[in-house]
Amino acid sequence: MSKKHTYTYFPGCMIPYRLPHFELTMREVLKKLNVELETTPDHSCCPEPTTFTGVDFEAWVTIAARNVAVSEALGNDTVAMCSGCFHTLAVANHMVHEDTELKDRINKRLKKSGLEVTGTHTVKNLLHVLHNDIGIEAIQKQVSNPLKQLKIAPHYGCHLVRPLEATNMDHADNPQWMDEIIRATGAEVAEFEDKMACCGAPIMPGDEQTSLTITSKHLKNIKASGADAIVVVCPTCYTQMETQQGKVEALSETEFNIPVLYLGELLALSMGLTETVTENQRRYHRVKLTELLEKIGGA
Amino acid sequence: MVTSELNLNFRTWLLDQPEGKTLLRCYQCGRCTSACPVADIEPSFNPRLFLQKILLSDELIAAEQLVWDCLTCEQCEVHCPEHVKIPHILILAKVRGLMTGNVPAAALDRARNITTIGRSLLVSPPMLKTREKMGLPDLGTPPMDMIVEMLADIGIVSRLDKVESNFGGNEDE
Repeated sequence: MSKKHTYTYFPGCMIPYRLPHFELTMREVLKKLNVELETTPDHSCCPEPTTFTGVDFEAWVTIAARNVAVSEALGNDTVAMCSGCFHTLAVANHMVHEDTELKDRINKRLKKSGLEVTGTHTVKNLLHVLHNDIGIEAIQKQVSNPLKQLKIAPHYGCHLVRPLEATNMDHADNPQWMDEIIRATGAEVAEFEDKMACCGAPIMPGDEQTSLTITSKHLKNIKASGADAIVVVCPTCYTQMETQQGKVEALSETEFNIPVLYLGELLALSMGLTETVTENQRRYHRVKLTELLEKIGGA
Repeated sequence: MVTSELNLNFRTWLLDQPEGKTLLRCYQCGRCTSACPVADIEPSFNPRLFLQKILLSDELIAAEQLVWDCLTCEQCEVHCPEHVKIPHILILAKVRGLMTGNVPAAALDRARNITTIGRSLLVSPPMLKTREKMGLPDLGTPPMDMIVEMLADIGIVSRLDKVESNFGGNEDE
């Protein structure tokens, strides 16, 4: 058993209330890796970084800093599973750290609730936890069903990685941590053009046509690599590339039929937790996993 | 280009903020536009031109629907040799245009959810049941009274009461 890690889990909105199979598989995998997650009802929406910022930036950074302050009071490092949540908390934390005037302004607002934000709290995403804290070796030890037959395209997405000064990720254009985790499951990593391309989701509320065109370019690049599936961390990227894939196909008159898995699902499949994936696949996967599951002998 | 009267308000407000101040480092090289995935398919979306307009005190950009075509992917910022905070500047342009109604309806819906229930989306009873069936814990509800009180000096709640989208756009899936 690897060393025990305890985090404050920041749940957000999309994962717990739209795509709970993300939370389920991630929790099961982390249990195997000796990770404990604690939650608190005091956390609110992060708030999401793609539209709320443009409605009221000051309110966005204040609510975000409050969420960080709630975590700070609890002590453990925070892990946000959703890339949007992670980006929001990490960026607000970094801004507070860099800008004393902003920090004072926010702490004045927090005073009544007895909270304080210092800008020194550690906010992590799933890759920090898996790759840096737990480590590739400890993950490999739990892989009982190596996914040797699969070629997997890692989709990092934007908000998980940029800006580096706030996210503390490894590289803005060519990050490697998810690639290494995919290889640890036994699968091959698919190489495709424009690895760090955006999924297109953030502009769905205002311009569906442009949004889906961006998605279709990305899916074409991935499809050309011969990948069996795309793996994501972010629930919004998932919604865009998986839930909306039919719409993308109609717009671009191209059949993709490429499954999208959450990283927790891929790890679950490799660790003999296949049921946690298959139980929910009909409900949350519009692109069926049948072929993929046959390939790994788990259908 | 049609420019109404010269209006320094937006420019002054922008330059008053640390991220906005980075605008002054822009020398119009255009690497932002060449790195932008939206500009690649929609030439009227041109980050370099947006920066030029703001530098020249053209306030109109805040009322253009086009600013909402920014993905916030930050490719422009990664490729900017002067590290101009371009996505942040476009965010401030969006904020500036809010009261003119230049905001997608779905963005307003989310903002109203966030400031009333503390979630970006509505949490339905069937979803709570699904979570229970999956063995996932009850996450409780955020302390909204406290959060709304904290936001009082910002005035977002009353602004959200008044503003209407003249934008339309799509509902959240």
